Amino acid sequence: MYKHRWMLAACTIILMVMTTFLPVSAQAEKVLYVGGTQSLTGPFAEDSAAVLAGIEDYVAYVNETKKLAPWRSEKFPADVKLEVLWRDDELKPPKALSIYEELKAKGMLVGRISGSPIALALKDRLWEDQMGATSMASGSYLLTPPQSIFTYYPIYTDSCAAIADWFKANWKESRKPRVAYLTADNAMGRSLEIPEMKAYLENIGYEFVGTQYVPLVPTSPPTTQLTWLKQKGVDLALGVMINPGSQPTVKEMVRLGMGPHLEYHMTFGVALPGHAAVFAEAMGELGDGYVCAGSFRSLDDIATPGIKFCSDLQDKYRKGKRISHIMYEAGVLEAMIQVEALRLAMQKVPFDKLTPRAVLEEGFYQIKNLDTGDISSTPLTYGKGDIEGVDEIRIDQVQKGKSVKVGSSPVRHIYTKK
Amino acid sequence: MGLRTGTFHENYAEEMATFNSRLRWGLVAALIVVLFLCPFFLSDRMLTILTTMGIAVVSVHGLNILTGYCGQISMGHSGFMAVGGYTSAILCAELGWPFWAALPCGALAAGIAGLLFGLPSLKIKGFYLIMATIAAQFIIIWIIIQLRSITGGTDGLLVPKPTICGISLTSKANYYYLVMFFVVLATITAHNIVRTRAGRAFIAIRDNEVAAEVMGVSLWSYKLQAFFIGCIYAGAAGSLLVHYVRFASIEQFPFMDSVWYLGMLIVGGMGSTAGAIFGVIALKLLDELVTVSGPILAAAVAPQAAASLALISHGLIIIIFLIFEPRGLYHRWEMIRAYFRLWPYSHEASE
Repeated sequence: MYKHRWMLAACTIILMVMTTFLPVSAQAEKVLYVGGTQSLTGPFAEDSAAVLAGIEDYVAYVNETKKLAPWRSEKFPADVKLEVLWRDDELKPPKALSIYEELKAKGMLVGRISGSPIALALKDRLWEDQMGATSMASGSYLLTPPQSIFTYYPIYTDSCAAIADWFKANWKESRKPRVAYLTADNAMGRSLEIPEMKAYLENIGYEFVGTQYVPLVPTSPPTTQLTWLKQKGVDLALGVMINPGSQPTVKEMVRLGMGPHLEYHMTFGVALPGHAAVFAEAMGELGDGYVCAGSFRSLDDIATPGIKFCSDLQDKYRKGKRISHIMYEAGVLEAMIQVEALRLAMQKVPFDKLTPRAVLEEGFYQIKNLDTGDISSTPLTYGKGDIEGVDEIRIDQVQKGKSVKVGSSPVRHIYTKK
Repeated sequence: MGLRTGTFHENYAEEMATFNSRLRWGLVAALIVVLFLCPFFLSDRMLTILTTMGIAVVSVHGLNILTGYCGQISMGHSGFMAVGGYTSAILCAELGWPFWAALPCGALAAGIAGLLFGLPSLKIKGFYLIMATIAAQFIIIWIIIQLRSITGGTDGLLVPKPTICGISLTSKANYYYLVMFFVVLATITAHNIVRTRAGRAFIAIRDNEVAAEVMGVSLWSYKLQAFFIGCIYAGAAGSLLVHYVRFASIEQFPFMDSVWYLGMLIVGGMGSTAGAIFGVIALKLLDELVTVSGPILAAAVAPQAAASLALISHGLIIIIFLIFEPRGLYHRWEMIRAYFRLWPYSHEASE
């Protein structure tokens, strides 16, 4: 009897292992995958973890309700189940390549970009496979062909142009305001440095002073860089930074007496990866004056349908372990875009004929005015050559320790090289 | 009539032959055939993994010559790969050179960089040499960032699709064959280099610098030769990497990769050609295992459990090898081979 029990257990294990080798088509359910490569190790770890949580919760919502959002009447096909597939690429391009191949082989029809280095490594391959992808990175390199990577917040240069517009509109002195770049020293931060950006700043009446770089995650306060800005009399510093870079930078600014309300008047504005809401929560009133463009609304802004939706998702699927990072909204948004592309493609192409190309052409390209419940600045519209989903850029400033919307600006489409 | 057992070397040529038995020739031929057939039965994902493994093997062979054989510890190997990668990328992207010409130039440039940064090895060793080579890594990356007009700085550089004799190497299978050609070439040359006069000098320097010098080994010359040769391998690997990704970026050559290359040598076994290959396979497979198991672990425990899993597992495996098997997997392999060498009498023979 004892021997038979062992044999039974062995047979069960063998059967369980064998089922994992069964091809997807042999399973009764129709399954589509969303998600993609994540950078859970490295400087974007915090952002990526929140994005992943957002994607998981949105997918759970669609699977359960077959609805796409509370404010939308369209339904997701009842016989199709969504699953989240992801891998940690550690922000390493070679690793992202093998992950991409793995997910593609598993039948993933949509891709995902977790950072600028990954975008640059996968851009050509995505195009060769005609696969559409959503992107957490939003550098100007996405605007050059081939284009199958779609953003849901503005290109960094457009975000900084919006800050420059807003600052100029509030400029009271008769002299030209002096502007400089204070940006992260990597592909993301340096993507600001294009001739079109400098020309735009000079066109709208700025005197361009120069550039200073701060490590993506500084290991020491950027005193030298800030002192340089002070010596050059800079009024507005623009950059593309993540919060682990901008927070120590602003702390040092305050120590050096630099800020809109301090003895040396200077405003520091960054494009989206330096979220104003995260910044305000971490820095409080110490960060007053910090400006962020293209950011999402605060997770407290429950009056906004999209944010209420995010909150409800967390109530339902994340009880006791709520995500407070604002990139949770980005995760919901990315999943929304990927699911919408799949849904639209399924309207034109039968399920068993779906290919990455079909999802790109009949899905991503057909997304027009996708209502995101105001999570993104505007409804999202994509098309061939139109990968910058939003038309307007929201500008937030930290005031009295809170992130406050201070304006918005249309997308200027600074980068013109095609 | 007595039956021959084991392998007998009856002259010097047989003793020194790279493959000194029919069995070994057979195994090598079988391995090459398997490598050739891989694209026919392996998925794109497996080919991608094998290609990146192959690139790492070329690089680690170079580090093995420098560190494993000559005893000069380098923590800047990834930086030397960057020199080769960027040189090759610039020659192709900016000057329109063909890939086949750019790759050796990249390797040579890395070799020259190795010579420059190898100069301190004449005066310093051990911990201080480690610090000097770490500095080399950061200096190289800093120079790449500063030479923005040529290198694209932190933006990186788009690299055109590689072609050889009109054959585009954009397909995964084609590039896999190219990388495997370099793996075989690098393995054979690495194996032979250590059998040359220079190779014996490297080993003498590693074992005892003073004794080697007393015996007439020129430390100055051979240490620099080791740096030059080791970095040529790194340069070739860097060039293969940027042409594979079709993009050159400093993010492809992080400092931590230099540490992991050294870790691969520790795990595989320093001072053996096969050890370099074993080390790469072991750590790359571990990397893949971690990548695949990350989501499972995240679902079962917590999302944070998957974060940095690769870093932790790599670090742990190196610690484990340093404590329990500092001679690496190659030593284990040698023990298995020794057991079967005179099988079925191996037990008696070992006694």
